[in-house]
This record gives sequence, structure tokens and C-alpha cells, in this order.
Amino acid sequence: MKEKRIYQCEDSLEGIFSAVYIAWASRYGHDNIELEVLGMEEEYNLKLFSEYIIVENNPENASKVADSIKKKISPHAYQMVARAALSNDKRKANAIYHFLVRGFAFGAKVEDHLSDSYVQIIFELNRYVGNDAHLYTGFVRFIELENGILFSKIEPKNNVLEIITPHFADRLAQENFMILDVKRKIATVHKSDSTWVLTAISDEELATLLSVTERKEKYERLWKTFFDSIAIKERENKTCQRNHVAMHYRKYMTEFIDDVEHENEPLRDNLDKIGKINYE
Amino acid sequence: MIVQESMTIEQKLTILSDAAKYDVACTSSGVARDGKDGSIGNTAASGICHAFSADGRCISLLKVLFTNECIYDCKYCINRVSNDVPRTTFTPEEVCSLTMEFYRRNYIEGLFLSSGIIKTPNYTMELIGRTLKMLRTEYHFNGYIHCKAIPGADTELIETIGWYADRMSVNLELPTADGLKLLAPHKNRKNILNPIRQIQAGIEESRENFGMMGGNKGAYWHTRRKVEQKSITQKREEDALLHIGHKDQIRQVIESKSDKGVGFSNRILTGWEEEKDSKILTPNHRIYHGNQEISSTIESPSVIAKPQGLTMWNQFGGNRGFVPAGQSTQMIIGATGETDYEIVNVTEALYQKFDLKRVFFSAFIRVNEDSTLPVLPGGPPLLREHRLYQADWLLRYYGFEATELLTKERPNFNVFFDPKCNWAIGHLEQFPVEVNTADYYTLLRVPGIGPKSAGRIVKARQMSKLRFEDLKKIGVVLKRALYFITCSGQMMYPTKIEENYITNQMLQLDEKLPSHITNGGITYQQLSLFDDSLMLSNS
Ligand code: SF4
Repeated sequence: MKEKRIYQCEDSLEGIFSAVYIAWASRYGHDNIELEVLGMEEEYNLKLFSEYIIVENNPENASKVADSIKKKISPHAYQMVARAALSNDKRKANAIYHFLVRGFAFGAKVEDHLSDSYVQIIFELNRYVGNDAHLYTGFVRFIELENGILFSKIEPKNNVLEIITPHFADRLAQENFMILDVKRKIATVHKSDSTWVLTAISDEELATLLSVTERKEKYERLWKTFFDSIAIKERENKTCQRNHVAMHYRKYMTEFIDDVEHENEPLRDNLDKIGKINYE
Repeated sequence: MIVQESMTIEQKLTILSDAAKYDVACTSSGVARDGKDGSIGNTAASGICHAFSADGRCISLLKVLFTNECIYDCKYCINRVSNDVPRTTFTPEEVCSLTMEFYRRNYIEGLFLSSGIIKTPNYTMELIGRTLKMLRTEYHFNGYIHCKAIPGADTELIETIGWYADRMSVNLELPTADGLKLLAPHKNRKNILNPIRQIQAGIEESRENFGMMGGNKGAYWHTRRKVEQKSITQKREEDALLHIGHKDQIRQVIESKSDKGVGFSNRILTGWEEEKDSKILTPNHRIYHGNQEISSTIESPSVIAKPQGLTMWNQFGGNRGFVPAGQSTQMIIGATGETDYEIVNVTEALYQKFDLKRVFFSAFIRVNEDSTLPVLPGGPPLLREHRLYQADWLLRYYGFEATELLTKERPNFNVFFDPKCNWAIGHLEQFPVEVNTADYYTLLRVPGIGPKSAGRIVKARQMSKLRFEDLKKIGVVLKRALYFITCSGQMMYPTKIEENYITNQMLQLDEKLPSHITNGGITYQQLSLFDDSLMLSNS
């Protein structure tokens, strides 16, 4: 049996594509290749007969991979891969690699190959990231700082910041706002009637941002008032509530802030349950 | 009635959101509108839930009453005039600033404004209209607004408001006229149906003049099909393509088959109550042909200035029509003695005759002591409400007709099965279905297969023959589907296609009910035992 080769890369689209490029060029045989994102290693992979190769980011290689996907598979497949890369699932780099192997063989039809396990993983990750992002469009809470800027903190499991920001940029076009991903130390900043940018946040900046925001304002209180009085006590059902807004979403949500229970529950696939009757 | 003067906005909000909580209006979906220069807000077609209250229901709108100083005495309502509860009324400014400030902080998708009747229906409607106008024109709010049309208010007022709102609704309150008479002495069916018809007419006009907007498309599968002038087969084909997801083909199909729909104008309104009165005014007629100057002198200061047809249209950048997200209604389930059969038929008629976008059901909650109100031992009939929503889903998306689901002889849904399972067990002659060859539509009628998984099956089998393992991965709920399908001619297990056998097998399965019904620990089997009115009627 040939020794497995495990290519390890940075947790970003560029990192993954750089590794895809190197792995592909190695001609080592797709079946013997695995990809892994650094920091998300599979412990059980530390096998005796595996060779580990750390791939440095290489923007040029990465953009070659991106171009080939768009041209030789489809722009939609590119989107799916890009979205999968934002997930917090360990399998993502490896699934992307093997999805692309099939994609370059089948072309756009790869998306119909739903009985293939790698194609399935890519679909699953897309749904997972998409659902999470959709939930955040509802669960982001802004507070108004003294200078009128709307400010929000989130700690999403998947890296949804870039997906959700265009939604708010359209909705709140006239506002200055900032959404901060506390865990990843990145933020999007939107200027009134202008564009938005994604920026890295230094530790000092983070400390400052986290400290300015503790003021309670009138509308936060009014919102809590509304939130409490709108519930029907004859139908009270905390389990149901928890199924819809899992605990990890609540940390920065105004209406839950006093009674956050820091439970670490697994991220649930909530979208299907929300206000919809599902027959599947 | 205790009306307190000088309340804080917080006190008012407490009272008027508490008073609005029984209204069903979580949905904000059905209209997509991008942000616009100089305005705040957009709307998302898919609907966004912003929070979930302690009862597990979605909160997406600031749902409040404008006033609870109601002069009517509906038996089921906490705000009825004979109740001794604190009363108050918002000012339009208060509603506007709450909406805007909540919206900016991303607490809500928009506003749902309902109301009790203060002084007169007109007076009430006028206040609501003033609020909506202020929100749109002074606060430049471009998000979602759903408001109630008050039965009995002037058509002019209702029309004006229709230009500012995204969705309007008039509550049917109870499924039948008799029920209404019994429990809502100040209301009558005709007064309720008139504004529904008027709004319908306005939506039609808007559709004809400006093309399809937002959620105006007929909600009921067969209505949509008729509007689009498609045969059942064509419509099914199109559904299939939509879910299989080949966009180019979809476009072709849609473009080739709908040469200029005729809309609803020629539709004959027959077969439902009070058709004699159906020639109500369609006041919207006159404003469309109004490129010409219309004098905007409105004498009475109490009347909000009526926006002028196309001018109004242009004012919002051409992206909003008349009630663009369609109209909805709601009825209380279990307060009066109707069967599911009657309710589903009324629902279907509402979709067919009035082109409603949604019909909501609300499990009766006994908030008042009143001898005319039933005492339901199991509490609000949530499982029944759920079954009705499932049936509604079948009407709107699956092309079922009410008569397929229930009959006079079997007038209630089986508590143990969802309506689609119930239907399949009653139609075993159509099964089993071969997964590798059956068309999309046939797959869709299999319990455990929904639109998504049916679409995936049709796509995936082009690449390779499907096996039972593959179906599971594709999202089919095999434990239910297995009685109704074959893969390459084989059933998953040896199975008798026989009603008693399958019924018994399926009774062993735990249906995954939404948690708002099961309340954590309680299983649905236990729950259904409490719901004895349903148990008895299903044999
Ligand atoms: S009209 Fe009837 S249902 Fe509406 S608020 Fe008044 S009493 Fe309640």
C-alpha cells in the first residue's frame, strides 16, 4: 500500500486552493491524498504511514485553481467551494479537493452526483454555512454608540461575516455600522452611503471595542419589554425556543443577555424548523 | 373601561404588545425589495426570523395593537369592551419611532399593526393610515409593513393604506358565519368579506398594470396554475424543473407557456357565500389611468391625503405595488364546532375565490370566562392546528385539492398521521412507486419524500441507479417511505401493500413533531391522548 500524503494548509480559501494546487501537481494519485486545515487536524490521521506536508499560501497558485474551477466546472461550483471553505467542519479541505477531482472529470454535472460522498459533503457544508448565515441575518443585534454608529458583536461557529454583511449594507445603507467577529478578530465596517470593508482587528482594538459597549440604552429596554410581553404563557415552551435559537447564538442578543446560560450545545441545523412545516 | 392618560411608551408597549400576541403574523416573507437611496430598509423574500419568544414562536415583526380601547365585545378576545383590563392607544409617532429604532438595531423585519376598534372603524383605520404614511414618507421606512384592514371602514381609507402596506389582512375570525354570529356579535361575515374582496381587486389591478410584484402570485397551487393558463401536467413539469434546478430550462418552460396571463379579471366568482354582493366597488380602477393631473385637494383634515396612482408608484421608486406581499387572514380553531373538513374547504375557497396569500390558523386559547366558549381539556388544540397547517401546505405547494384530503364521512384528520401519510394510506392502489423511473410529481406524493428530495432523486438517478442507502443520504425519510417505494423493483423489506398492515407499521413510528407541540418531554402519543375531541372523531 502506498503511503498516504496529507497536505496541510492555512484555514482560508487561499490556503486551501494553494494546497489543492500542490497536491494535484504532485501526481501522487488522488486516492492517496488528503488535505487538512492547520488547527483542525484529525487526530486519528496521525498514522504511521502518512507523510505530512505543510503548504504555504501561494496567491498565484490559488488564483489559478479558482480560475480553472470557474472555467472548467462552473461558477456555481466555485461558489459552493468558497462557501464550504467558510465552514468550521474539519473535513472541508479534503472534501473540496476530492470534489474538485470529480469536478474536473465530470464538469458542471458534478453537482448532480449526489450519491458521491464528497459531493454530499460539499452540499452539506453549503447548507450548514448557508443556514448559519441566514440565522445571523436575524440574530445580529446592533447597539447604538454615542456617536451614532451601530455596533454588533458576534461569535459565529462558521465564518459568516462576509456572507451576511452585504445584507446589512443594503438594508442599512445610510447607517455607519460595524460587525465584529470576536473570536476570529475580524470585522466589517460600513460607511454611510458607501461600501464596506473587511478588516483585521488587533488585540488592543478588540479590548477597546469590547469595553465601550456596556451602556444600556432605552431601546434595548423597550425591546426586552416587547420580547417578554409578546410570549403567550399558555403556550410557553422553552425547549422549542432553544431549538430555534440555540444557546451559542444568544451571547450577544439583547433579549437574552441577562439569562444566558453558557451551555455548549452542538450547532443545530435550525433552518428547516423555522416557521416551516417540513415533509421531508 | 379604564383608560389611563399619560402612560410612558414602555407601559403602552407592554399593554399593546401583550394585547396583540394572539395574532398570527410571524411571516414577513413573500416580497423581495432591495434597499433604496435615501431610505432605510429592504425586505427579504425568504423571511428572516429575528427572535423566538418563550412560547417558541418566531418574532420577526414589531407586533402591536394600535389601540386596545375596543368598543366591540368579541367573546374570545381579551380586549373586548366588557373586560376590565388597562387600556391605551399609541400615537402614530410612537409607533414610527419604535419601528425605526427596533429596525436599525436589527430586532425586527418590520411592523405588524393590528388594532381594536376605537370609536368607529373609520376613526381607527384613519389613525392606522396616518401611521403608515408617516413611516413611509417621513421616516423613509422601506422595510416590511403588515396591517389589518378594519371591517366596516370606508373603501377609500382601505385603498390608501394598501399603497403603503406590504401585506394587509382581514381576519375571518371563525370558519363559519354561524360561529361568528355566536362569538362576535358586532361583526358579520359580509363586512369581513367586503374588504377582502376590495383588497383582492386592488392586487389584481396592480398585477395587471405593473406586472407581478412580490408575493402577488396566487398562493393556491391550482389557482396559480389557472392564472398561468397551464394544464395540470404542465404545471407539474414546471414544479419538477424548479426543484431539479436547471435554471435555463425553467426559464424556457415559464416563458413558453405563459403568453400573457389574463389575470383574475375574467374570473367568475361563484359557488361561495354572498356572491350576490360580489360586485363591490373596485375603487382602484380609477387611479391607474391617472397620468393626468388629479387635484389633490382633500378637504377634510381628518382624512389622510390619498396618494395618486402612478405618482404614488413612482414615489417609491417603482418597487412597491398595492399590497405587494398579498393578503392573509386568520381563523380561530376549536372555539366553535367546525370539523377539519369544513375548515379545509373554507381555506381552499379563500385561496380560490379571494386569492389569499396565506390562511393562518390559531388554536383557541380560553382567555375569558364565558359560557359560550368551550373548555378544551387538553389546552389549546395545537396538534390540530399543526395538522391544518400541514394540509394547507399540501394545498399550496403539492397541488392537492381539499376533497382529496377529507370527506364528509371522514371529516377530521387522523391525529396519528400527517395529512399526506393519511392520504397515501387511503390510496394504496397508487403504490409502490419505482424510485428510478417515477416522475417528480409521483415521487412527491410519497410520504417521506418532499420537494427537495424528490428533485434530488430525479437529478441523481441520471448519474447512477439509486439504492436505498443513496435515498437516505439524499434526505428521504426512509422509515416512512419504505412502504411506498421500490428501488430497481425491490422493496426495502418484504412488505404487504395493505391498509391495516401499513397503518399498524406506521403507528410504531414516532413522527417528528415541531417542538411547540411536544413541549420537550411529552411525546406525541401522550399528547394526542389529551386531545380527545380529535381522538373520538377519528376512527
Ligand atoms: S374587535 Fe373584537 S377581536 Fe378585535 S379587539 Fe375588539 S373585541 Fe377584540
